[in-house]
Amino acid sequence: MNSLGRVVEVVEAFNRSVEAQVKRTRRDARFASELRRRWRRIQAQIPEIEIPTGLKFPRLALPPTDEPAEIARYLFGEGLPGEFPFVNGTYREMYLEKAESGKQKTEIEEPTRLFAGLGLAEDTNKRFHYLTHHQRTIRLSTAFDGPTLYGLDSDADGVFGKVGEGGVAIDTIEDMERLYANFPLGNEHFSVSMTINGPAPILLAMYVAVARHRFGPRVIPKLRGTVQADILKEVQAQNEIIFPLDASLRFLRDMVEFTTKYMPRWYPISISGYHMAEAGATPVQQAAYTLSNGFAYVEMFRARGLDVNRFGPRLSFFLDCALDLEYLALARVCRKLWAVGMRDAFGAGERAQLFKLHTQTSGRSLITSEFKNNLTRTAAELLLAYANATNSCHSNSADEPFTTPSEEYVRLAAHAQAILLEESGSFKFMMNALSGSPGMKIVERVVERAMLEEFHQLDELGGVLAATELRYQRSQIQAAAHRYEQQINDGTRPVIGLNRYHSAATESPAVNVVRTSREKKQRQLDRLEKFKRRHRSQSERALDQLAKVVERGGNVFAELIDTVEHCSLGQITARLADLVGRYRPTL
Amino acid sequence: MKAESNRRIESRATHPPSLRFDATSHATRSRPIRLLTAVPICDGHDSAISTINLEFVRRGLEVVYLGYHRSVRDVVRAAIQEDARAIGLSSYNGGHVEFFSEVLRELKRRGAGDIGVFGGGGGTITADDAKLLKRRGVDEIFFAGTPLDAMVNFVKRKYATAKKTFHAATSPSARLADGALAKCLTAAENGDRLSTLNSELSTRTLGVTGPGGAGKTTLIDELALRFLSTHPAGRLAVLSHDPSLVGDGALLGDRATMIYAQDDRVFMRSLATRGHAGGVSRATARCLDVLRHAGFDLVIVETVGVGQEALPFRRDLVDKTVLVMSPDYGSRLQLQKIAMLDAADLVVVNKSDLPGAKTAAAEIRQRLEHNQRGQRLIVTMAKRHRDPGVDNLFREVMS
Repeated sequence: MNSLGRVVEVVEAFNRSVEAQVKRTRRDARFASELRRRWRRIQAQIPEIEIPTGLKFPRLALPPTDEPAEIARYLFGEGLPGEFPFVNGTYREMYLEKAESGKQKTEIEEPTRLFAGLGLAEDTNKRFHYLTHHQRTIRLSTAFDGPTLYGLDSDADGVFGKVGEGGVAIDTIEDMERLYANFPLGNEHFSVSMTINGPAPILLAMYVAVARHRFGPRVIPKLRGTVQADILKEVQAQNEIIFPLDASLRFLRDMVEFTTKYMPRWYPISISGYHMAEAGATPVQQAAYTLSNGFAYVEMFRARGLDVNRFGPRLSFFLDCALDLEYLALARVCRKLWAVGMRDAFGAGERAQLFKLHTQTSGRSLITSEFKNNLTRTAAELLLAYANATNSCHSNSADEPFTTPSEEYVRLAAHAQAILLEESGSFKFMMNALSGSPGMKIVERVVERAMLEEFHQLDELGGVLAATELRYQRSQIQAAAHRYEQQINDGTRPVIGLNRYHSAATESPAVNVVRTSREKKQRQLDRLEKFKRRHRSQSERALDQLAKVVERGGNVFAELIDTVEHCSLGQITARLADLVGRYRPTL
Repeated sequence: MKAESNRRIESRATHPPSLRFDATSHATRSRPIRLLTAVPICDGHDSAISTINLEFVRRGLEVVYLGYHRSVRDVVRAAIQEDARAIGLSSYNGGHVEFFSEVLRELKRRGAGDIGVFGGGGGTITADDAKLLKRRGVDEIFFAGTPLDAMVNFVKRKYATAKKTFHAATSPSARLADGALAKCLTAAENGDRLSTLNSELSTRTLGVTGPGGAGKTTLIDELALRFLSTHPAGRLAVLSHDPSLVGDGALLGDRATMIYAQDDRVFMRSLATRGHAGGVSRATARCLDVLRHAGFDLVIVETVGVGQEALPFRRDLVDKTVLVMSPDYGSRLQLQKIAMLDAADLVVVNKSDLPGAKTAAAEIRQRLEHNQRGQRLIVTMAKRHRDPGVDNLFREVMS
């Protein structure tokens, strides 16, 4: 049996143990009254808050019950926020506004995170500075252009039109320097996230090298941020992979080993279901494949000799939130399965049991026709994401089906989050104000069962890697995508403004399309050429040195931090591809 | 057009035709429309195109799918070689104005301006972009929300007939450009008879067969890599087969998983079986004759995934045959039923990393020894870079 089969077992055992506690309350009167006392104690400790209308409320909403069986089911089966198995949230307070002055200050984690990347590095840098005017802490999230995502230089054959489109063009360490210029890279209130996978180790190496240039080597352990680097989902859904899977996983392991040892604040991998959902996965497929990929990475890093309690807390997750009913409780189930699996199948301690989740509202749910409805879609999805206690969230801009979002719609998307978290009273005054409805509980149960069934299926196929090679997840996702399209076509899946309440007007909406001009693209090429010329004498030697490390099985990431000083992204991927081959796409 | 006809004259003048077609009779009859679909370079969004491909195929079209992250050169080369009536591009990652325009330019440059171009990109292609692209020669841009039906109907109407067909006087020769050769193959595929066959042929032909999922396409691509690096001026052709569905459509997807065969020195053609059982098409022998006369050093024929009883290569269709197997064929008893194990010159056990690979190799070796025909067994792991097993296979193939 694979580790996934073991996860299914421990979750089932956990559920049985919760039921056993529930039954015990019925026959063991002492246990029942003990539990009741504990429950009262918990309630008594909850502080009150007076909201602007003058009414007072508890800061944490608990089920209104005095029944020991229900108390047991809640405390053992769901846990208080911040307690195992974390169904109600990874932390105690999540989005709560700071308690009144005079009381102990609670640290607020700013959950808003906006994805940006356009044109050249300096353009994105400007956008970052613009965006962070609206944020209390600086958390940058970076999108890269197509050539960068595929590890190609801007001067590669036939990619000119793609330079700076849909994300920022990064070819060299100098571009990386421009990208985050004037931001305090080592500051504890600054973090950066990079959405990059195939060439992730190279881009992160550039980031580390830039930080080293600007702040000296002692900044490295202080760097905070995330690099997506989730190669399994690339094979399963997103298709941005450069090297064969085995080699890609080796480069990933090297990077994770390095960050685990020397960059303890870094999240070296963001295990992502978002792209699966965007490619057509159902909510359950998304969640099940993402968690199973997570368990596969854990197994892989452990086999590398890394301690689950050191790398475990640095794993984070990234899921889509759309409008399907499952999203009412999807993240709640994920937190539970991850915590139980990590504790009972992998022996992980509490910090490594946390399913730290970044959510993005669904891009696929946004459409072009009557596109301003997208504002409503995103708002509804945001509500679901926060009701699921996501740790951070990105809200899509309404104009995203057309273009890299314009500033107007980026602002509206950011404000949507502020309206929910700061203007509305649903999240800032009371923790768990929306959790625990009968419907939410039912969705939890059904989703959990379906996810375990998926785990079982993957286990039968020989585990995540074997199933991936068999194209199992990929073909399941494709089949789901096909079904989704058919449902839109035949109207069983209503899309307002498209197959229902469609207005006759067909003119295309006036949105400001953001494109990168020819001149800018050319400027990037010129810079790259200058870089290559300047480093001509050292680049070959640096690449040879890298090749040696690859061939003798050394840590490739540690070497890349030096390689990027003299070599461009494209030069490095080309040399690595010579050594390990190129990824062979599957249908 | 002009360049094309010049080349035709040139080829006739310098190479006396050794092979001719009777007439143009069948070229324009109602055959399935062939399309090439692809996703542009630096773009991995294949979800939309996969859905559209399925719909096209279901509605009777033959779709050669090139896959995602493909360059303009790869797209145009493939469309010409496949004699596609049109190219369908699905672009979601920006840069579409440049990419579509570049495809049009490259088609013209290669004398293939008759191949239509259409595409879509959800909302990423704006109405203004579409107007501009149509002015430049793109036939249609489908916007988000276009029903699949509308796309199928457009394609069936717009590309109902080929603009340019095979010229009766064309004959396959080493001087033939991809476009002219592709038209010859279309004529051969559509049933035109060949006459004289009289030249000295130095073309080596290799037949590759095996069950679906054994790794035939990957192996062929790896052979292509080795061929290209050891024959710096050599030319390789691949004739690949995929099954047609009941409704006449077919998804020809072998190109999508190939990396190294995307090269100007490789000519690849995908054939749908069009109702013919047994692993190849009725036209395979005719197409193979065309390729033999077109001056390739090596021609590889790949069958569809075949069952136990299949013997796809009738006597002397190819010089050498390879059966590719994966270790999971089941019990030793199943092995006794595989007809091709008696006929193949080379038997490859691929996926040597799978559990049971050693046992499989041993069982198959015994089976081959029992035949006493000097058949060779080669164990490979085609997915591994520079796999020594594939090196062995390549040596055997070229020996």
